[in-house]
Amino acid sequence: MNVEFSPELEAFRREVAEFFATAPTPAIREAGRKTTSVFAPFDQCMAWHQILYEKGWAAPHWPKEYGGTGWSVEQRFIFAEEYRKADLPPLLPQSLGMVGPLLIDLGTEEQKAKYLPPILKGQDFWAQGYSEPGSGSDLASLSCRAEADGDDYIINGSKIWTTYAHHANRMFMLVRTSTEGKKQAGITFLLLDRMDYPGMEVRPIYGLDGFPEQCEVFFDNVRVPQSGRVGEENQGWSVAKHLLKHERGGGNAASPTLMRYLERARAAACETSSPFGGMLADDPVFQRDFGELEADVTSLSHLEKLAISGHEIARDPAFPSMNKTINSELVQRASVMMSKVSGVGGLARQLEALRVGSNVEPQGSEFDLITMPLYLNSRATTIYAGSNEVQRDLIARSLAAGA
Amino acid sequence: MDFSYSQEQVMLFDSVTRYLEKNYDFDSRKALVASDEPWSANVWAQFAELGLLALPFSEEHGGLGGSISDLVSFSRSFGKHLVIEPFAFAIMLSGAALAASANPRAAEWIEKLASGEAVAAFAYEEGNGTASPELIAMTAQENDAGFVLTGEKRIVIAGGDADVLVVAAKMCATGKVALFFVERSTEGLSTSPFTTIDGRSAANIRFDNVRVGSDAMLLDDASDALDRIIAQALIVLSAEALGAMHALLDITSEYAMTRKQFGQPIAMFQAIAHRLADMKIAYAKALSTLTYTTALANSGAVTARDIHVLKGQLGKLGREIGESAIQVHGGLGLTDELNVGHYHKRLLAYDAMFGDHDYHLRKLGQR
Repeated sequence: MNVEFSPELEAFRREVAEFFATAPTPAIREAGRKTTSVFAPFDQCMAWHQILYEKGWAAPHWPKEYGGTGWSVEQRFIFAEEYRKADLPPLLPQSLGMVGPLLIDLGTEEQKAKYLPPILKGQDFWAQGYSEPGSGSDLASLSCRAEADGDDYIINGSKIWTTYAHHANRMFMLVRTSTEGKKQAGITFLLLDRMDYPGMEVRPIYGLDGFPEQCEVFFDNVRVPQSGRVGEENQGWSVAKHLLKHERGGGNAASPTLMRYLERARAAACETSSPFGGMLADDPVFQRDFGELEADVTSLSHLEKLAISGHEIARDPAFPSMNKTINSELVQRASVMMSKVSGVGGLARQLEALRVGSNVEPQGSEFDLITMPLYLNSRATTIYAGSNEVQRDLIARSLAAGA
Repeated sequence: MDFSYSQEQVMLFDSVTRYLEKNYDFDSRKALVASDEPWSANVWAQFAELGLLALPFSEEHGGLGGSISDLVSFSRSFGKHLVIEPFAFAIMLSGAALAASANPRAAEWIEKLASGEAVAAFAYEEGNGTASPELIAMTAQENDAGFVLTGEKRIVIAGGDADVLVVAAKMCATGKVALFFVERSTEGLSTSPFTTIDGRSAANIRFDNVRVGSDAMLLDDASDALDRIIAQALIVLSAEALGAMHALLDITSEYAMTRKQFGQPIAMFQAIAHRLADMKIAYAKALSTLTYTTALANSGAVTARDIHVLKGQLGKLGREIGESAIQVHGGLGLTDELNVGHYHKRLLAYDAMFGDHDYHLRKLGQR
């Protein structure tokens, strides 16, 4: 057993750190510091995506022949660590992390040729049309209908929780094409190459943090070409399950972000008064709570490193669910810790100061500015990508199966 | 990075596990704990035979120069079988303290420990429940003939039966923590032996002006050595704890699949299913923390921070798993006949020793 990275990997780390120290514009850095969600501010995020593309680093997890880096898992982990240390805005996952890998695995040659290059370059942005008002984690119950008509489908219904659909120019979605048999049957996976089809309407939903991150998308007799189908008609469930593996397992390390949150919280606690006198960082209760959280984040980091090194734990069928449960709950706990450190300092509602490029000075520190939106937004982590209740059902099932 | 066990380590684990499965079933262990014997002399001799007792010592000391991952590999099996033999205390703590000394008499003791001829006990804890040497109150007053030791050591595992005690005391002259060895026959020792809740033989030992010769000193300033020795031993004890956690996860999930209430296996009830899922999540965290920390220690890179994470996490997670296991088993989980409560008690003892999880987590938050 050993934990060292090779000298080559350490040299790679320096190369990455060097690039991150010089390449991002001030606006991109500001967007990174003001990211209060999984999803970074859109415009700066896409600008940063394009800079990374120029460097050849936009899609480390893609195969090399499609424009990936050809990096090892260790290199990807180092990249993720340095990325977070530099407080850079994370690239949006829907295109690069979801539909891109899906098309690489299951798309036709035409689909790959048409869609992959603009994803890689940061020109296209895809929305994910899965959830519906009546179908959350029970995705199989979805009812948005698509009826075949010549070479087209005609879509009727609606989708909800489509992140950044108001910024998107394309969309991938699940539609019901049959009501026969099991509810998992009769679902089809579709790619929409525009968001402005007649009869299609995107309506942003304002979240608790005051920002429109999620959207509702309505379809009223929207006619789209059948050539956008991935896989066979009525076989969309297996396509979606394939994609969920990318969404839940991710291969994207969460611990570097969490470690960064903790560093920021600790630094802030050293400058925040305790209600018992002295500084918050010296308060025994704070220390105990902070230590507990830090230990858990450290354990997640260990788990992620075991997983990238090919340890058997990552081959447990419940691993993606365990990983999702652990990291989503830690994001919430870290956000609670951060908002506790801010205390009353986090109570000002300051949407304008949070906007990248804003000349409105924040009330309090930049840390105070982000803690409440981050806390409120992170209530979503245990709900999306299959609620944690559903994940726990899957984990328990793996125990019953003797895993 | 490589977190896998080598082929030799897998073989070591297999041979220890095979031996314990054959000779250390739950009922024989229970009879052993209830007997007058502090532990099984036969089992201890077998551990010597398997090379376990010589494993951590260097080749100059006549040992096998085993690595920390060698020790972790089979210690998981000790946890699964709730072994009461004092491996971590006699070999990892006392033996390592002797090995850290240049005193030639220490080398004689190591030879006896490694062959199983003698047993050593680590007299460290004074009731503070901490791993920190700063709180040691026992004193060592130097005089012409040697040293006079005064104070009380508590929960000394194997303390009632060991041939030699390794004792930590504060030097009156310098205020530094020193280590001594004290033979059992030394005058002035009063020992009250007992069995711990997890079945180990232990004793509280009073030292009333115990006089030892000047050649009884192992180290005159032992703080750094103690940190290192305790860190290594805590990794081994954590491996035992992980073995116990794994056993509880297995036993409890199997029970929940077979035990029926209201016409179906209780694992089908979401409240139970989610508790099982949380046990498995806790186990995954414990496993990865121990594995990573072991690899760090193997690379010589383990820090105080890593040990706080390890002991804090495994102490807390072990209790969570144990408490859930009892809850899922219902009333049955409270009976002495079932092994579940015994695993839980082993985990409670593990958590309490050398600083409980609150202590280690707060230390972590203090940086």
